Formats: sequence, structure tokens, C-alpha cells
Amino acid sequence: MVTGFSIALIVFSLLLMLLVLMHKGKGGGLSDMFGGGMQSSVGGSSVAERNLDRITVIIGLLWFACVVGLGLVLKFQK
Amino acid sequence: MLTAFARAFRTPDLRKKLLFTLGILVLFRLGATIPIPGVDYANVNQCIKEAGGNGGLFGMINMFSGGALLQLTIFALGIMPYITASIILQLLTVVIPRLEALKKEGQAGTTKITQYTRYLTLALAILQGTGLVATAQSGTLFRTCQVGNQIIPDTSIFRTAVMVITMTAGTVMIMWLGELITDRGIGNGMSILMFTSIAAGFPGSLWAIKQSGKILGGWGEFFGVIIVGLAIVCLVVFVEQAQRRVPVQYAKRMIGRRSYGGTSTYIPLKVNQAGVIPVIFASSLLYIPALIVQFSGNTTSGWAQWISTNLTKGDHPVYLALYFLLIVFFAFFYVAISFNPEEVADNMKKYGGFIPGIRAGRPTAEYLGYVLNRITWPGSLYLGLIALVPTVAIALFNGSQNFPFGGTSILIIVGVGLETVKQIESQLQQRNYEGFLR
Repeated sequence: MVTGFSIALIVFSLLLMLLVLMHKGKGGGLSDMFGGGMQSSVGGSSVAERNLDRITVIIGLLWFACVVGLGLVLKFQK
Repeated sequence: MLTAFARAFRTPDLRKKLLFTLGILVLFRLGATIPIPGVDYANVNQCIKEAGGNGGLFGMINMFSGGALLQLTIFALGIMPYITASIILQLLTVVIPRLEALKKEGQAGTTKITQYTRYLTLALAILQGTGLVATAQSGTLFRTCQVGNQIIPDTSIFRTAVMVITMTAGTVMIMWLGELITDRGIGNGMSILMFTSIAAGFPGSLWAIKQSGKILGGWGEFFGVIIVGLAIVCLVVFVEQAQRRVPVQYAKRMIGRRSYGGTSTYIPLKVNQAGVIPVIFASSLLYIPALIVQFSGNTTSGWAQWISTNLTKGDHPVYLALYFLLIVFFAFFYVAISFNPEEVADNMKKYGGFIPGIRAGRPTAEYLGYVLNRITWPGSLYLGLIALVPTVAIALFNGSQNFPFGGTSILIIVGVGLETVKQIESQLQQRNYEGFLR
């Protein structure tokens, strides 16, 4: 049970990292973060990007569920 | 002021953006309270209570992560890896020609640099996550706590790997949340997340002050701190908004039948052009020696002793002096890399602009450099002093160093707040002229 959840958690974590890194990075570094640069909002994301968003959200939710699940299992195992 | 708020919520697209941002923030705070599987939550809580919210070495970073670090939650690392990655890339831009070329390329180059930042964030997250889990396992995260080495009961390699990977995924998730805010919400996502983390620590610390206070059952200290904090905020806002306006006159030109230019504008040179970046740079740099000691393990050798007596305490004179000097240095450094007088002068020349009384071209660049240098002096001193004053005051009055209104947190809060309000305002002005700030 614990091993299963752990492996699922690893898989979802790796997937999540991969998916997030596949996104196009928004916002350019420090100067953007704390004043300085001008904001250029390039609106509109492509269809691929929107699908990527959707998949990322789903994987994120599954990852979250795994975290909570594993935490509960470990807690009640003792 | 209040009507402007109401109007912000009545504008449909702005309302959507605000609600989206708030939603993401709720998710962010929720994740900051869920412990990583494998952590004994009861023991952690007991240790935090014993440490009295004073994390010592980790105090600063704990503040940046909104208290999530010491609780070992899935968002424990917060946005620290991303900030570190941005700092590293920012510094490397000066050193490595390829990065400099990318930066000059404009939009496409910046996107590429952002992509590098993201990869570096992942690497740093793995590194810091491993470090955090290792220190927690060995019990050095809470030195004084007696159950400190039972925070993580199971220390098998597999369990450790799962924890590190979970933490890394959490950090990457935060990065994505920040980007979502930048993309579809209001303001810059990363800085808003940082703002939230710092602000989240305020109520607890204020309440702790009330609990430990003596005047009028603690209410005296409570309101005293709030009033002092508000005064500092007012001062910071005042200086942040201050700028010198260098007048620029544009020559009138006829192209075909239409006339261009002929207007007079100004180049705004802010007193504090660099914002809070020098403070963040300085505090992250000063954190590194202590981190090295933590990892090297032997705390008895000479240099390790010296570092842990001089550089880990926020109120030690050596630390304060170094902090101040680093802030001043980085203020100049950052202004130098973010504002290039020659480029501005060249651009002005190209479009037929000039500063009255000064010839176009090189003299203009020299003049701009001269003004910039002189205006950065008070700016950098102000930054250093603001970052120091609360620390010194607290050291005098025997408070803990994790005072909620520390200079760094106030600078960040005000900087981010002003920026975000400005952005909301510019959105509002598309429909209505009266905004928040007049």
C-alpha cells in the first residue's frame, strides 16, 4: 500500500515537473519581479498551450491526492 | 479610494483577473500547510513551539516561504529556488557573452533566458530539498529540540528520495502557479507569491508580540509595533515614488504630410532605481557561508566557529556592516546593469531628442551617467538603512530577530504592493480615469 502510493507519487511528481517545464516561461526574471521593466502582456495562448494547461491541472490534482493519500496511510499505519 | 476598489470589482475582466489571482493564492497557502508524507507532524509542531518561531539560521528563508519551511510542507522551499536561479542568471549575464547576446536580442532572447531560469530552478530545488531533508533527518534543523531527530521517523533511502522528489515537484508547482498569475492574473506572479508568504507570517508574529508584551497586557506593544510599522511603510512609499525628471525636448519633424515629435517629455530617474533587488541579493549572499558550515558538518574548526558567531546572527555588528555594504554595492551594480546611459543617449539621438543645454550623443550619455550616479548614492544608503534600522532597534530593545516588520520584508511588501496597484490602475484607466493614486 505504502510502496504503491510512493511509486505513484514519484511518477506523478516527475510528470508534473516535465509538464511544467514544457510550458513557455512567462515573465522575465528579476527585473520584472520587483519593478523596473515595463510590462508587455502578450495575450492569447495557443491551443497546444491550453491543452498542456489542462493536462497539467489534472496531473497536479492527482499529485496532490497522492500526497494526501500517502500522508494518511503513513499516519494510520502506526 | 474605496470607490476605486468597488469599480475594480465591477469591471468584468478585471474582476475575473483579481478572483483568479486570489484563487491561486488560496491554493498556494493550502499547499503550504500540508506536510510531506513521512514527516511526523506532531513532533514538528512541538519543535516549532519550543523554538518559539525563531529558526535561527533558517529564519530568513522561513520568512520567505511563509513558515512552510520549518513545517516541512510540500511547498517548503517556496519560491526561494526560483529567486536564487534568477539571481544567478542575472549575474551570469554580465559574465557570459552568450547570455548577454541573448539579452540584447529582445523578446525571444528573454524567453530563452527565462527557460534557463526554469531549468536551473529545478536543479536548485533538488539540491535544497535534499539539504533540507538531510538536516531534518539528522536533527540539526531544530538543535534545541529533544524530539528533533524524530521528525522523520523512517530514514531509508527510498523514503528520503520520495520526500525530495515531492518537495521538488512542489517547488515546480509553485513556479507554475506564479506564471499563471503573471499570465492571467494581476501583477507579477512570483513577487505576489512572495508577498503572500511574507504577509502570512504577520498575524502570528504580531500575536506573539502581544503575548510576550507587558504594557496593558501586551496591547501597548501590539499597537506600538503596528504604528511604527505604518510609519516605516509611509517613509518607504515616499522614497519609492521619488524620481528625478530629466527633461527631454524632441525636435519637430515632418515626414510626408504628418508632423512628428515637437514634444517635451522627461526621463524619470528613480531615487531607488534598483528596487528591493539589492536587499534580496545581499541577504541571499550572506546566507551562503552559514549554509556551507551547516553542510560541512564540522562546527569546531576555526573558520566555521568564526562564521557561526559572526554571520548567522542578524544582530551581530559584523553581519550588519557586511549587509549594509553589500546592499550599497548591489544597488550600484544593479543600476549599472539595468540602465545604460549610452543606449538611452543613442536612442534619443536617433529620434531627434536632446536634453536642453547638453549636446546629443556622448555628452548626453555622460550627463545621464553623472545624474544617475549622484541619485543612486542617497538611494543605496536609504536601502541599506531601511534594511538595517528595524534590526538595530530590535537588538536595542532585546526582541527576537524575526520581527514581523523587518526591513527586508517591508521593502518587499511595499515594492510589490505598489507595483501591483499600479498595474490594476492601468487596467482601470482603460475604462475610467480616476484611479487609486492621484
